[in-house]
Amino acid sequence: MSVLSIKELLSRMENDRRFMENVRALKEMPSSEGRFTPFPDWVYPRIQSVLKKRGIFQLYSHQTEAVELIHNHRDVILVTPTASGKTLCYNLPVINRILDEPETRALYIFPTKALAQDQMHEVHSLITDLRTDIKTYTYDGDTPDDARQAIRKQGHVVVTNPDMLHTGILPHHTKWQKLFANLKFVVIDELHIYRGVFGSHLTNVIRRLVRICRFYGQKPVFICCSATVANPKEHAERLLERPVELIEQSGAPRASKTFILYNPPIVNRELGIRQSAMTPARIVATKLIENDVQTIIFATSRLNVEILTKYLKDRFSKGKPVDTHFVTGYRGGYLPNLRRQIEQGLRDRDVMGVVSTNALELGIDIGDLESCIMVGYPGSIASTWQQAGRAGRRTGHSLAIMIARSNPMDQFIVENPGYFFSQSPEHCRINPDNLLILLQHLKSAAFELPFEKGELFGKENLEELLNYLEEKGVLHKVDERWHWTAESYPADEVSLRCINPENVVVVDTTETGSHQVIAEVDWDSAFTTVHDDAIYMVESQQYHVDKLDLERKTAYVRKVDVDYFTDAMTYTNVRVIDSFSSKQRKETIVEHGEVQVVRKVVGYKKIKFYTSENLGYGDVSLPEKDMHTTSYWFTIPRDLLNRLSYTQADLIDGLSGLAYSLHHLAAMLLMADLHDIDRCIGDKSGEWFVRHGTGSRLITASPKITPGMTDIMIDAFDPTVFIFDAYPGGIGFSDLLYEEHDRLLTSARNLIESCPCTHGCPSCVGPVLEVGPAAKETALAIIELITENI
Amino acid sequence: MSTIKRLRRITGEQIPEKEKQARADQINELRRRIETVMSRRPHTATAHPPAHQGRAAELSDLVQGEELENTYGRFFVAHSLHSGSSYHGRRCISEISALDMNAAALLANRPDLSRFHCGDALFLDTETTGLSGGTGTLVFLIGIGWFDNERFVTKQIFARDFSEERASLKFLTDIVREKRFLVTFNGKVFDVGLLTTRFILNRLPDPLSGFPHLDLLYPSRRLLGHRLDNSRLSTLEREVLEFHREDDLPASEIPMRYFNWLRKRDPRLMVDVFEHNRLDVISMAALAVHLAEMTKCDPENEQTGHHDLLAVTRFLLNRGYYTDAKKLLDSLISSEHPMIALEARKKLSLMHKRDGRWNEAIRIWETMLENDPENVFAAEELAKWFEHRAHDFHGAINIVSGILKSSRLSILERDALTHRLCRLRNRTEYTNTE
Repeated sequence: MSVLSIKELLSRMENDRRFMENVRALKEMPSSEGRFTPFPDWVYPRIQSVLKKRGIFQLYSHQTEAVELIHNHRDVILVTPTASGKTLCYNLPVINRILDEPETRALYIFPTKALAQDQMHEVHSLITDLRTDIKTYTYDGDTPDDARQAIRKQGHVVVTNPDMLHTGILPHHTKWQKLFANLKFVVIDELHIYRGVFGSHLTNVIRRLVRICRFYGQKPVFICCSATVANPKEHAERLLERPVELIEQSGAPRASKTFILYNPPIVNRELGIRQSAMTPARIVATKLIENDVQTIIFATSRLNVEILTKYLKDRFSKGKPVDTHFVTGYRGGYLPNLRRQIEQGLRDRDVMGVVSTNALELGIDIGDLESCIMVGYPGSIASTWQQAGRAGRRTGHSLAIMIARSNPMDQFIVENPGYFFSQSPEHCRINPDNLLILLQHLKSAAFELPFEKGELFGKENLEELLNYLEEKGVLHKVDERWHWTAESYPADEVSLRCINPENVVVVDTTETGSHQVIAEVDWDSAFTTVHDDAIYMVESQQYHVDKLDLERKTAYVRKVDVDYFTDAMTYTNVRVIDSFSSKQRKETIVEHGEVQVVRKVVGYKKIKFYTSENLGYGDVSLPEKDMHTTSYWFTIPRDLLNRLSYTQADLIDGLSGLAYSLHHLAAMLLMADLHDIDRCIGDKSGEWFVRHGTGSRLITASPKITPGMTDIMIDAFDPTVFIFDAYPGGIGFSDLLYEEHDRLLTSARNLIESCPCTHGCPSCVGPVLEVGPAAKETALAIIELITENI
Repeated sequence: MSTIKRLRRITGEQIPEKEKQARADQINELRRRIETVMSRRPHTATAHPPAHQGRAAELSDLVQGEELENTYGRFFVAHSLHSGSSYHGRRCISEISALDMNAAALLANRPDLSRFHCGDALFLDTETTGLSGGTGTLVFLIGIGWFDNERFVTKQIFARDFSEERASLKFLTDIVREKRFLVTFNGKVFDVGLLTTRFILNRLPDPLSGFPHLDLLYPSRRLLGHRLDNSRLSTLEREVLEFHREDDLPASEIPMRYFNWLRKRDPRLMVDVFEHNRLDVISMAALAVHLAEMTKCDPENEQTGHHDLLAVTRFLLNRGYYTDAKKLLDSLISSEHPMIALEARKKLSLMHKRDGRWNEAIRIWETMLENDPENVFAAEELAKWFEHRAHDFHGAINIVSGILKSSRLSILERDALTHRLCRLRNRTEYTNTE
């Protein structure tokens, strides 16, 4: 069989009527010329000649703009596309300055260890070519102990991640005296990654960094890079708490690209069920890989990565030698060695197809791929462009296809190409003054240097917080200074990324006598992915979980070959602790405030491969998880609801459907991940809540009260819909949702009304099998009932 | 709403009145039970100071010392003088006040120490607010000591609050200037690192950076580790110096004592801490002298057991003191402990081998084989000599095949010897055909 080029494949696709029926947008993005400017005259000739040897005779216009600003001690944020030479924008001024003053130090911060390693290679090769004694080191959890001292004293450029800065560098700043006393540059790449919880933490880490620099008499220049978002400058200024110059006009040339938005066909209008996004993904990927088009496929979950890898492996291991069309999975849980092998395979074109989570989204060097398939909307437009950017970074024509799933966010994007292709509407939001986050960093900051009266740190009343910590016994005030007085090491108590920094290791016990660690799962996902009897997949190999031992933080698994996978079911129960503010809309009461959330994994479904049939259920017995957070909620008086002529069961379904669409719309409004917020229907006391059980919705008493009581009807209480922050203490989402209550309801009405399904579907109120056939109609009636006429 | 009120809401700190009462009752009950238990024991070491009523007037009422002042402010210094005739464990002070400087140089692996006098040594041990390290750990008590002729002097510099740290560090600097080298126990990793951090934080020059330093932990491990469960100072003190503390404050409770002192300013909280630290400093001095004596290679010294002497030899060899090591080994091969004698022979033979004194080496190996025909070490060494030095492959084969008959061989030894035998046979064939 002869092999088709990507252009030929594309024209076949465009002539395929059945394919094109589902294409919502096909955009040809033309190539564009670069805009070049000469090197500024302060750039050392030896740097220029090294760059010229690499084919860089001039700078792109945005590079010149950036290096000039940095040279003049201005803080900058750079927003230009993938492969536009961002790294040179900071490497050039940094290295030039080190050649000027050899004591100069620079700190590079990347969000992940992998990225840090990758960028290190880049700086390193530049320095090697310069034949100068500039030392660059990565400093992270993998750095051997005996190398650390040399890095602290000699490293000109130290490449690290926020977590290491937070626990390993700042609390030991005296050991890093040489670095801090000479720190002229701080580079923060992928700034848009630092939003929500992570961003709120990072701002505080930066506050601590700046504070320590001040102690050593330094005021470094901050150089940030970000993917395209709506508010890069504002975000950078909030994160760094200082004015920042924005550079966003790219002068880099661009290769041409075809971008397709694809919406799988509806296969059951009655139920509003669309074909699974996995199906077209599998078909398109097969076609591309068959024709020697190197392809990266992004799936939205680890599970989907494994399923797709299995599908493609099944396809390509039949009849053909595996090594010519090798397809593989790639995700965070794989051990580092395997990941390095896959990355190398991609660069060498030994690997022709890779199915990945967003782990490969950022700048890890995997060479230039030709096509990119996104199975499901990656959650933000910025991520979508970054994933699409993995195909065709420099060379000829490339292809990117985004295949929508049936959830509301995907459907909204794919049905509104204008929203997607026009200027980014996405905002990065952070709340560095979340009291819990702020307090944690205040402790670390006090550990690093005593606080002095009149000092500033965050926007809250600092003195009040310091006095509070003194009252708690961790600070001691003397002579207008607060000193750390506890034996503990406060940075160890805070993880910048997740709530619980602990991991669960997965141990393969298939072979007695040689047990092997095959993966690690973070604490929170362990409850849903490696509970007893779950099917856990690594590299398409299925493992049955024999036992999840929470005390030892270990899941014992064994290899199996079954035709199903498992999907965990959880329940959530919310109790109001305090209302911060409240308003009335018609007769409903809208509020936001502090809540207690209790969650428990109660069971799992067995789902058959390919057909997605439900093969049965199993029970899971794991402890509850309890947290305090902030929430937005509204309460509909039962008398008001009873005015609608629906049955009690239908009303519950209608509320569930409404909550479903509000949850999705809220995430979009906040530019947050769906998992960053969550929903629940219950009463404010936490005594009753709606439980999505096996097949039907039940109103259940909180297990703490009367286990087994399930026959309560909705008129036992005033039902409340909660949309809450999934982070303890909240990340500032709920007051925004409270403000936007009217807009949320209006959007929900638009979404539900305009959905083509008959009884409700995953794109509007949720799958009809889960929310019931009356959900769509009832949800609309409820919105009507509680919305003031607009 | 105030920041704190909001914070308390988020953390759920408002404990309902009922629960609060219940918790208080529980605590009171617990307290009552603990007090009952404690009252039955007349006098025990306890984390909590004795429950005196009222409040002691001043620190100087309970700890011998006084407030001092320098350019950076006030601080407290406790001092004590230990006369030559007083004892620390089995040692009397006059006995330990003569630290041999050559031995000290050997222990520290710094030849330059031998130029100093033992009165130049500054013994140092600190008490801190934690063990985790990092910039948030305060050194609140710096115990130092030195030999003054036959006497031993200790001073303990106490920062009564964070505000006195700078003046305390300045005082330490002034004393360091008068001394020539530092002696600590684990100070390289812990005390000096922390003090350096404190000097930086107080913007003071660090007198300890580059200061000659004898850290007793490493030589202690090497010289005494073979007969102790661990190499903690407290273990060494008990097992080696035979010094037994009474009512000693456990080190883990020291940070909390200081935090309570900061709040309550009750000098009774600190008395045990001062005592603990003072004894640490003296023990360190006694230990230094003990280790120094061990290295003086005196096999007649009854104090030093033969196992210790073997450890000393290893230490000497490791530091390159071959002459001293040889002298010691020569006497140890006639030890009445067969194991010691054997080990000494091995070591000595290897020394000879290293220096090319083959005849001496061979003599030892042959003696070893005479005493014990199944001695693998001697057989292997001899076989090596036959093969590589004498190029007598048949001689080597004889020895190897002889020892292979032994039933004492481990699997690894057997494998290695069989391998050697094969190679030797190949070589003989090769030379034969040639």
